[in-house]
Amino acid sequence: MAMIKVEGLYHSYLRNGRYAIKDVNFEIEKGEIFGFLGPSGAGKSTTQGILTGLLQLQKGNVTVAGYDIKKISRKMFNKIGMSFEQSNVYSKMTAKENLYFYSRLFDVKTRDPVELINLVGLSGKENIKTGEFSKGMKHRLTFARSMINNPSMWFLDEPTTGLDPAIAADIKDIIKERNRKGVTVFLTTHNMFIADELCDRVGFIVDGEIKLIDSPKNLKLQYGKKLVDVEYTQNGKLKKETFSTIKKEDKEALKKIIAEREIRTMHTKEATLEEIFIKVTGRGLT
Amino acid sequence: MKLLSSFKKELILASRSFYFYVEVIFPLVILAILLFAVPKEINTTSTQYIYLDLPKEVKEIYIDTMLESATGIESEEVELEAEGKTYDVQLIATDEEKFYIVESEEAVRSLAYSEQNVGAVIELDENNQLYCRYYLQGYESTRLKNLLSIVFNEDMSVLEERIENQEVRPLTTDYEPLNNRENAIPPIIALSSCLMGMFIMASYVFLDKTEGVIKAYAVTASPVWQYLMSKIFVVLVTSVVSGLIIVMPIMGFKINYGLLLLLLLTTSFFASSLGLLIASFYDNLAKAFGAIYLLIILLMVPAIAYFIPGWDPFWIKIIPTYPLMQGFKEIILPKGDIAYSLITSAGFLAGGILIFAFTNFRFKKTLSI
Repeated sequence: MAMIKVEGLYHSYLRNGRYAIKDVNFEIEKGEIFGFLGPSGAGKSTTQGILTGLLQLQKGNVTVAGYDIKKISRKMFNKIGMSFEQSNVYSKMTAKENLYFYSRLFDVKTRDPVELINLVGLSGKENIKTGEFSKGMKHRLTFARSMINNPSMWFLDEPTTGLDPAIAADIKDIIKERNRKGVTVFLTTHNMFIADELCDRVGFIVDGEIKLIDSPKNLKLQYGKKLVDVEYTQNGKLKKETFSTIKKEDKEALKKIIAEREIRTMHTKEATLEEIFIKVTGRGLT
Repeated sequence: MKLLSSFKKELILASRSFYFYVEVIFPLVILAILLFAVPKEINTTSTQYIYLDLPKEVKEIYIDTMLESATGIESEEVELEAEGKTYDVQLIATDEEKFYIVESEEAVRSLAYSEQNVGAVIELDENNQLYCRYYLQGYESTRLKNLLSIVFNEDMSVLEERIENQEVRPLTTDYEPLNNRENAIPPIIALSSCLMGMFIMASYVFLDKTEGVIKAYAVTASPVWQYLMSKIFVVLVTSVVSGLIIVMPIMGFKINYGLLLLLLLTTSFFASSLGLLIASFYDNLAKAFGAIYLLIILLMVPAIAYFIPGWDPFWIKIIPTYPLMQGFKEIILPKGDIAYSLITSAGFLAGGILIFAFTNFRFKKTLSI
């Protein structure tokens, strides 16, 4: 079952025929993590804006969580969670007041604000006004707020931007955990590492057009070199060799080294998502 | 439930914001000015400095005539200072007029100049007839100059006869004028409760736009109109509070507070809807300031007509603050026109609903921008 279905989506901010996105088509299955990747200005936020009802649908067909975006219903938002790239919480209210207020705006059972605050590592900060929070803390609270209504369709816009690695790892764990419980995730990012780690499939968008949609694994197989770099010790000396994963003699030689030598490091020469993106689109991600 | 939560949230935010205190402190300041600086009745006593450039006997007869011209006239010797000099003068005072009889034309000129009052020199002409030269301020109208000329230099018996034969017929015996403090209430309420409410409403929305929270609200299951209405409720509360702060201490229990609250609520609803509508067209307060400023100026124009009843062109009556001020005036008048206030309330409610509906449509389209 498709949680999101987009067909022939166009959008022009000035309605003058100059499209920010053009002929965008894709589907996202229930329980999938879909990464929407592209550089700034590529059309990621425009697409996400239309999917979440923040921008008016001009041309095309879009359904989200079973709701037609043409006739948007407030009920749809009971199923949707949205974490914004720019933190947007009431600075004159405490973290708890912020989440409590938003919890009252849904018709479904909502989560305990303090539990969510603790979940994103803000324990003990629930009664502090968010105006006193750092950028990262506000970002975490914005992320926590997006879970307040237990969404089955979760939109995440750069969820780890500005966070230190430890906190970012916690956020990724939360996303994985929610996904394991069946939540569908639409992840907008230009960070290829988080996309690689989390996404079942990724879509590359450049200049408003989707260039490619596939799983990171398939892309790496398709675009990576079929080689393995091996570092091992022989007679007390460190040696380094590269083997083909296709040629029979290389495969035999590699098998022998693994059996007889002490392996220090071994890497496949697969391409990174960023390298694949550049190869496919001819553009960088910044 | 969602509306109540939004209202509570708006109250929390308002109580922690600068604008809320502006709306409460402003009427307190105005009230203090009305109570301690504005007199209930303006003192209309006129003051004149007169030098009697006359022979001693004539001068004495003149002063005696002045003292005998009416009852309740008081006379005393006083000192006046002007331009660094002290003058010994004779004060002849009635309830309506004060005459300072000075000893030189130079004193008349100096006192008239420094105190900005009328000065006069009374002399005898070659025919031994009294005539008068006035020292005026320069801004007096031709009509006043002619009047002064007639009053002193023409035959008074003609004037007296005309005045005594004037027939005065009051059209109504119900009318009781307001004192100065009471009369100031309608335009002040228009300013503090309504125009300020409009400005503050726009400020609240721009604050939300700046913080980006408006986008977060847009992805909840709560409809846009509840977001807008919760803000209007807060402005209604502050408008009622600021209105009562001004009205209660001055009017006491003389007026119908039910009518006052009704008009306060409907006019504030109208004004705050207008504030929301303006906010829907702009991203921030700086960009909207020009439009808000022009609108406030336009809406304050009827205040001129309010204080100058003779100037009442038709176009001014269609500016909403005109019926707003007249409506409040009818409420505080001892025998005011209740029907006018009720019709005004209904008009503002209807106008407010129309603007609110259009604003809701605008925000639905632009909530995220």
